[in-house]
Amino acid sequence: MNPIAPDAEFGPERTRAATPERMAHIDMDMFKANVSMLRELVAPAGVMLAVKANAYGHGMIPLAWAALQAGAESLAVLDIPAALELRAAGITAPVFTWMHDPDADFGAAADADIDLGISAIWQLEAIAAAGSATAPRVHLKIDTGLSRNGATVEDWPFLVRAAMAADAAGSVKLHAAWSHLADASPADDAVALARFHEAVDVATALGASFHKLHIAASSAGLRMPEARLDYVRFGIAAYGISPFDDATGSDLDLGPVMTLSALVASVKRVPAGQGVSYGYLHRTEGESSLALVPLGYADGIPRFATGRARVMLNGKQYPIAGRIAMDQFVIDVGDDPVEPGDRVIIFSQGWFGEPTAEEWASFAGTIGDEIVSRIGQRVVRRYIGVGYDIDTGLFQPGDDS
Amino acid sequence: MSVQPLRLVTVDLAAVRHNIYTLGRRVDGPHVMAVVKANGYGHGAVPVAEAALAAGATYLGVADVTEALELRAAGITAPILAWLHAAEANFDAAYGAGIELGISNIEQLQSLTRTSALNEMTVRYNDRPAVVHLKIDTGLGRNGAFESEWDALFELAEQREREGFIKVRGVFSHLSNTSDEEDINQLARFNVAVEMLREKGVYPEFRHLASTAAAIRLPETRLDMVRIGIGMYGLSPFFMESSADLGLRPAMTLESRVIAVKRVPADTGVSYGYSYRTQRASTLALVALGYADGIPRRGSNGAPVWIGGKTYQVAGRIAMDQLVVDLGPDSVEVGDRAVLFGDPAQGYPAADDWAAAADTINYEIVTRLGERFTRRYES
Repeated sequence: MNPIAPDAEFGPERTRAATPERMAHIDMDMFKANVSMLRELVAPAGVMLAVKANAYGHGMIPLAWAALQAGAESLAVLDIPAALELRAAGITAPVFTWMHDPDADFGAAADADIDLGISAIWQLEAIAAAGSATAPRVHLKIDTGLSRNGATVEDWPFLVRAAMAADAAGSVKLHAAWSHLADASPADDAVALARFHEAVDVATALGASFHKLHIAASSAGLRMPEARLDYVRFGIAAYGISPFDDATGSDLDLGPVMTLSALVASVKRVPAGQGVSYGYLHRTEGESSLALVPLGYADGIPRFATGRARVMLNGKQYPIAGRIAMDQFVIDVGDDPVEPGDRVIIFSQGWFGEPTAEEWASFAGTIGDEIVSRIGQRVVRRYIGVGYDIDTGLFQPGDDS
Repeated sequence: MSVQPLRLVTVDLAAVRHNIYTLGRRVDGPHVMAVVKANGYGHGAVPVAEAALAAGATYLGVADVTEALELRAAGITAPILAWLHAAEANFDAAYGAGIELGISNIEQLQSLTRTSALNEMTVRYNDRPAVVHLKIDTGLGRNGAFESEWDALFELAEQREREGFIKVRGVFSHLSNTSDEEDINQLARFNVAVEMLREKGVYPEFRHLASTAAAIRLPETRLDMVRIGIGMYGLSPFFMESSADLGLRPAMTLESRVIAVKRVPADTGVSYGYSYRTQRASTLALVALGYADGIPRRGSNGAPVWIGGKTYQVAGRIAMDQLVVDLGPDSVEVGDRAVLFGDPAQGYPAADDWAAAADTINYEIVTRLGERFTRRYES
């Protein structure tokens, strides 16, 4: 019933010429400054930089390169496929991964020289069964209270013995012991750290020796010097977001890396009393201009932030008017001037009063980690900073040497 | 493929077809537009679109031109309407690919008729006007021409249609679902706009106003076409009625697997902040899904997870990549399936249960899923 045949010469790539209407600018200089600052803070401990979950929504490959340039010694990702992506991009630095499903390809990981976090004996058996010519470095995980991955106190001696046997048999190289803190309270984390040292002592008594010990992520890396050990696994702090409730990123001298913005799609003038969006939660107080912004919960703007969230347009802040919908939200600008194509800042560095991702977390009753890691794929990432190609996000040093 | 992906979304296309068929029978007469914006509400736009067309839908609806072009690139030739345009929308490519455009204001109409592909010569040689649906704001305050703009917009539309640039194939609006009374008020305003348009000499083939909620509840809003989104995916737009109450089958099953199991004593803290403590000696199962996958962190401590035929609750905070389930005295193996939601008729929790646990609506639960899932389609 369609009278119109599609023309072959018009494809989706044609649409990319225009300015993207939804953009996440990733400030690479800021990211590198954060990594450098954290590295200096924790030295002589080293920095392992977490780029899991697509670098918390920022883009894994560009951020991985930048982290290494800024002095991170190694990278952490969740699972083997992500680690292999880093290798495929040409990254040769140590890459650590720890969440393995029963079908995980341990042979490919060993071939690619990936460091493996080990929580259970079946994982050591699967590595041996994979029969790679390379014995991978393994990091044994002890559960010190979080109750997620990691061997329990009861299972720990068995895991250590199995790893020693596998090391002796040449299927793995026993390299490190590690754990993860619950950030419940300083006292709880101190208990967890003590449990970690006890577990290491137990292993040592069994004859094991570890080259490296690591337990701290961002929060303990910043505030618990005794937990820094050989290196700190920094994640959220490097992206400029505080891991604490009682301090912002800027209190910690960190700068937010992601700026989320969109271009006003349309503007209309309406009289007083006009309802806005589903359920008419907002009504205009007087004659007013409504600006439509093409971002919604499908893009990761949390619907729960309805009624609390604000954004910045032309240097001024406005509350989001009415419900956040799947693809769009509305701001009520009153008599202020606004044109289609004007840029609306959803969150950024906060230097001009615009919200930060941390403030969005409070609008949405969550943490900044969830805000940035859930920004969807309709949002185009653009990498900005000295030496960066704005389209590919890759570092391309100039010839000004 | 024997390996079970670690994070799996299974979409039952037979359920999509069933839902389109069921709703099509219910509205009895009007055309059905299947709305596949936001990657088919997270289900995958192309397979869902094909299933909906096979079940009798005649139109596809998307938010923007980019989404429409992706459907065309996949070889779909059915009519597609796109209505949310950036200030610099690519109407040129849309015209080239035969995408029908929702037009909300005079600026968009002028921008469309200025595009290089649609100049007077094109019209003369191709006799192919750009197909538009005029969008009326009847109260939602989002897109659509406001009442004060109707006269000028309709006037220009009539002129451009007479000149052969455009064909006004539709006129449409969107309800606020504030209350039945408000929705009926919107219908009345819509009818006024349609009448005004006809007086200008423009007679669109399709008047469309209702999406799933009104298509079910307010027969007078069905007009010439209904736009079916959430109902096609088998989810209810109403708080008080479930999918089954409406005769719909949820199409999406979302699952992962248990990647670690441990027995712990009573009073063991679980996950960040120890916001949950076991009440007795318990089995804890670690499941490989977290908020980076779109599993809402607000579902911590209470959202349902099905494992081994029983439904348990998330214990403690949902983390970026993982969550923990407390199975109490029950046992579980590494590798066992963990289903967060699916079709309650098969014993799984509903997306609605996750919506309730996370203080939101089922639409957001399915739509904001992340990129790490493997999607499988059952036909």
